[in-house]
Amino acid sequence: MEMEVRLLPAGFDPAAVHGDFLARFGTLGAVTAFTGVVREAAKGAAVDYLYLDWYPGMTETSIQAIADAAAERFDIRALSIHHRCGEVRAGEPVVFVAAASVHRRAAFEAVDYMMDRLKSEAALWKREVGPQTDRWVEPTTGDADDLKRWSDK
Amino acid sequence: MIDILFFGRVADSLGKRRLAMALPPEGLSLFALRLRLFDGEGDGRLRMSVNQVVVTDDRPLHDGDEVAFFSVFSGG
Repeated sequence: MEMEVRLLPAGFDPAAVHGDFLARFGTLGAVTAFTGVVREAAKGAAVDYLYLDWYPGMTETSIQAIADAAAERFDIRALSIHHRCGEVRAGEPVVFVAAASVHRRAAFEAVDYMMDRLKSEAALWKREVGPQTDRWVEPTTGDADDLKRWSDK
Repeated sequence: MIDILFFGRVADSLGKRRLAMALPPEGLSLFALRLRLFDGEGDGRLRMSVNQVVVTDDRPLHDGDEVAFFSVFSGG
């Protein structure tokens, strides 16, 4: 099992990370990738940037725990999680998650699972800042429902 | 001495991210520390960790412990 888990205080290029992941693991047969990008508006208010507060040490551990759980749960051979911390401007990538497997289902599910858990269980605190908005974002009931999808297994 | 850290909304509302405190001779528990810092406000959304492990139950604190208070996580 190959894992790359990174918490990044500076910007990164998800296309380059994806390309590298494909080059290394594409021959397995199935690679799924997800990129989350900071929206330019949230709830009708323009967003200039997100600030993701983090707890050095604990944040990395919490993300690694999600990667370990995905590796245990799904029949995948490689995974990648790149997550930003600090200030992330609108239009910039905030998270990239990928999985590689022999058949597609496991790769799709592993990425879906890791994203659902990152939303609520990564030790990060997200603040949305724009001309008319400055608020700490908390997980929604939708995020909690997303997480419940995985609790029956 | 114990190290106390604050993150997210909690750091914002306290206006600080870090505090060092000497433990009193009679000792101090995690819940007693929370009462001191947050005026007994029963904010059910306040989360805690000791030495980087999230905890929900009370426990005695020891010299060198790193305690943190924060709001619920929101990543992704």
